[in-house]
Amino acid sequence: MPFLEMENVSVGFGPEGTRTEVLHDVNLTVEENEFIAIVGFSGSGKSTLVSLLSGLLNPDKGEVRLKGKKVTKPGPHLGIVFQNYSLLPWLSVYGNIELAVNQVFTDFSRAQRKEHIERYIEMVSLTPARDKKPSELSGGMRQRVSLARTLSMQPEVMLMDEPLSALDALTRANLQDELIRIWEEDKRTVVLITNDVDEAVLLADRIVPLTMGPKATLADDFEVTLPRPRDRTTLNTDQRFKKLRNEIIHFMTSMNKEAKMLRVDQGLAMPDIKPVDFTAA
Amino acid sequence: MIENRYVEIFDLVKAYPNPFGEPVNVVEDFNLTIKKGEVIGVIGHSGCGKSTVLTMVAGLNEITSGGIVVAGHEIDGPGPDRAVVFQSPCLLPWMTAYQNVMMGVKQVYPHASKQQRRVVVEYSLSVVGLADAMNKYPRELSGGMQQRVGIARAIALKPKVLLLDEPFGRLDSLTRMELQDVILGILDREHITTMIITHDPDEAIFMSDRICMMTNGPKARVGQIMPIDFERPREREAIMETDKFYAYRQRLLQFLDDCEAEKHGGGPIRWDPEPEATADSAEEPESSVV
Amino acid sequence: MKFKILKALDVAGLQVFDPVVRLVCGENPKEQLRKILLFIGVPIVTFLVFLGLWSYMAPRHTTKAGEVPTPGVVLDAADGIWTFHVRENQKAQDFLLDGGNRESELASVEARIMELEPLAAAAREQMETLESESKAKIDEQVGPLQAEYKELRTKSREDGKTREAALIAEADSLPVGNAAAREAFLTKVAEHAEKSAADKEAMRDFKAKIEAAYTEKFPELEKVRGEYNTYEEELQYLSKRLDYLTGDNQSLKISDQELKLDELQAAFLGAEGGKATLKAAEKVVKQKEAINRIADSEYSRPWTFPRQIARSVWCVFVGFFIGSAIAIPLGVLCGLSRVIMAALTPLIALFKPVSPIVWLPIVFIIVGGFISDPEKAVVHPAFLSSAITVALCSLWPTLVNTALGVASVEKDHVNVARVLRLGFFSRLFKIVLPSALPLIFAGLRISLGVGWMVLIAAELLSSSEGIGKFVWDMFNNGSSQTFAQMFVVVFVVGAVGLLLDRIMIVLQRSVSFDGAPTAI
Repeated sequence: MPFLEMENVSVGFGPEGTRTEVLHDVNLTVEENEFIAIVGFSGSGKSTLVSLLSGLLNPDKGEVRLKGKKVTKPGPHLGIVFQNYSLLPWLSVYGNIELAVNQVFTDFSRAQRKEHIERYIEMVSLTPARDKKPSELSGGMRQRVSLARTLSMQPEVMLMDEPLSALDALTRANLQDELIRIWEEDKRTVVLITNDVDEAVLLADRIVPLTMGPKATLADDFEVTLPRPRDRTTLNTDQRFKKLRNEIIHFMTSMNKEAKMLRVDQGLAMPDIKPVDFTAA
Repeated sequence: MIENRYVEIFDLVKAYPNPFGEPVNVVEDFNLTIKKGEVIGVIGHSGCGKSTVLTMVAGLNEITSGGIVVAGHEIDGPGPDRAVVFQSPCLLPWMTAYQNVMMGVKQVYPHASKQQRRVVVEYSLSVVGLADAMNKYPRELSGGMQQRVGIARAIALKPKVLLLDEPFGRLDSLTRMELQDVILGILDREHITTMIITHDPDEAIFMSDRICMMTNGPKARVGQIMPIDFERPREREAIMETDKFYAYRQRLLQFLDDCEAEKHGGGPIRWDPEPEATADSAEEPESSVV
Repeated sequence: MKFKILKALDVAGLQVFDPVVRLVCGENPKEQLRKILLFIGVPIVTFLVFLGLWSYMAPRHTTKAGEVPTPGVVLDAADGIWTFHVRENQKAQDFLLDGGNRESELASVEARIMELEPLAAAAREQMETLESESKAKIDEQVGPLQAEYKELRTKSREDGKTREAALIAEADSLPVGNAAAREAFLTKVAEHAEKSAADKEAMRDFKAKIEAAYTEKFPELEKVRGEYNTYEEELQYLSKRLDYLTGDNQSLKISDQELKLDELQAAFLGAEGGKATLKAAEKVVKQKEAINRIADSEYSRPWTFPRQIARSVWCVFVGFFIGSAIAIPLGVLCGLSRVIMAALTPLIALFKPVSPIVWLPIVFIIVGGFISDPEKAVVHPAFLSSAITVALCSLWPTLVNTALGVASVEKDHVNVARVLRLGFFSRLFKIVLPSALPLIFAGLRISLGVGWMVLIAAELLSSSEGIGKFVWDMFNNGSSQTFAQMFVVVFVVGAVGLLLDRIMIVLQRSVSFDGAPTAI
């Protein structure tokens, strides 16, 4: 039996008549401790997919199942990492994580809690910033806090909704390395939603492309057979990595109907007129 | 020879007052010369002042000391000869794509006939692939499409220099690749001198003729300049296959890592305790994305 | 088609009816019915509960102007106001009728009178019989009561006298200087006084009973009396109409005078001798003037409530227009220039909280200084003062919002303008104003709401014709009927205010480029 499963899931928004179906007939199976990446363009319904998986949204048709049981409402066993961190600004790093831990591990003693929280702060390498408020942290560090908070709840499935998209490319690369390390250390089932093919290839065991919305659905998946633990620098020269990556990019871009519809009209030519030169004047 | 020194930035300094009122040099002794028709990528960590340099070239930001010369004239304030594509498309929401482009065109070609202006607008919109979406309002367009209009608006001005300020920073990486191809296509036809600010090494390598790597701020300056030796027109998949690409990439990342290490004495974590004070807002949550 | 209607409803802010349209189109009936129940059913229920509470509470409180009117009474009052308005319009129309129209109207009025008179007479007769019947009934009830009362009175008087006599007798034999005995006597006197008071109290209660019997209501009588009054009122109105269709009719008057003019003209033609000719000529001229006066004369219509509403709406728009004409340019200047903003901030902050009650007398005096004779002025000074007060109180939200809108134009948009080197005016009209427009309209909407509230108070004080004055007149009248009419005003003022707000919402939506949803 698959660990996490979506069966013929469809969901739409808006009143009947003007209703647009965002996701149509989505099927997905995830094995236990598998790292899945779902790749799609923005606006293709990725966030809806996360809401469905986490129980924040119930499908119109079909079922989402975790260990064979239907998912109907959110809970700490379905941890989510949001793109916008969603930290409470008046709590410190420790406080933000503590809030989640207190909620989940009610039977822990005070000392156990402290140890538990500090273990996860250590895991995301934030020990020096333990007592800082989110406003004192950079974006990358805030996302680490968010990650630690979700991990500390020890969810059965970890859902990551474009966790690194708001970060610049360099911070993103660092956090990706960190994610690889953490996952090796603390293996669990992960569904990563991303728009970055490199990220997906680097992190995931399997990559599932999401087609363009409306009526988006999941296309055939790509298996990532690269050996673990993975290292960014060695992968860059790995022929399999390059091939897989190019394949996926090719598949994704060929799918973008919007871009295909665009007509680059080569018939016109720029008229030969000179613009007014304000500097000369 | 003006062709070889089309844009000259010399001893550029930008100082912002810190909270105590003392000036802090965000950018210091920045020197760069750009040839006509060249594409320069500027890369650096967020908050290093790369956007500050670009806005100074655009004239939107005052220069504390030093100078910028474009085509033999020292710049004085902003002007349409240095067209900017901002990180957010910032189209006027009450105008269609066509009208948004036309606004600039009217301003820059007051002597042209109506017919000529119309062709300029149509040409610009069609080279970015919006020939069929000219009369749409920004709200009807996706983020990537809006940014295409922003690009069309810039090239319609026939600028001497095209300034791209992290133009794809707010787009997803797939849309970003499409727009990179769009801009490269335009540059191959029009040969506009271009300065592109980015924090994405792949983007910088793919698009630029030379990459200017900036050290970390404050007192950011040009660290290294790396020429990129790929033939134009460039094909993404072909370039990605070459080992040269990965060598360039390695060198870039190495430089950026060294910058970090230098700053923090080689600590294990990426530790940037100061929130970004400059105009660089790459880490802001995407608030204005449609 | 369906979507067009839905869109129109959305723009008009009437999304409440969205499910009705969808239901009619047969779309997902279960869901739509649920929505209708929620968005239409629930408000209706609340309103009914409100009416119920009102009907229950109102008769339980009696004021100088009678009982607090119940919804039914208020509805009747509204009907009365409307009938009055319609009849006045009819009279005004009658006054101007001429020729065949006049004659046919006259015939129909006469026919109606013929029809009504017997009805009225019958009603009167019935009323009189009922009155005498009810009087008899009352007498029947009151008669024994009265007799009993008389008995009670004589008895209490006699008792009093006996007690008094006994006391005097006792006092006679009271030993001088015996404090204890005298103290006891004092108690007896007090007892006597108490007893008399108790008797009086009993008599008063009895009297109240008798009075209650007199005021007993006979619903049948009341009904017939009401009917009779209605007939009488209509008859009175018809007889007035008769006047306007005959003797007081404009065309008839003119033709009368024209006959006279003909005579005078003939006399003038035949006149001989300087003096006589001049006199005859003068007469002709005078007569012509008289005819012109009649032709220019209008039926002097009283200010009926609907006319006063129209006047108030007109006044609020004049004031709102004056206010906006000041506020928008000023707001734009404030938003554009920090200097002007700094210069004006203290004034704005100081004047913004001033109440209309303070502005009005000042404005009234100042306007009075410009217009010396109110009768000859183009605009009535009271109207102008009300409008200016509205302007003074309502311009602030627009001013502040405009300044905010202009000052908070997106920096990127300003940068676009700078790169293009747009001039001041194209920057203002192409970038600044359009992007500030939604906020400006939000301000205008608040302003109009404030203006409407202020206006009623201003009219009440300045006695400029309008809803405020109507309320004031009703208040001074102080009868139970006018009391009910004041309740009608509450609903009308609310409804007009709501309508004005809706109009502004539609305007606001039509200028907001991003199609932003507007709050209700």
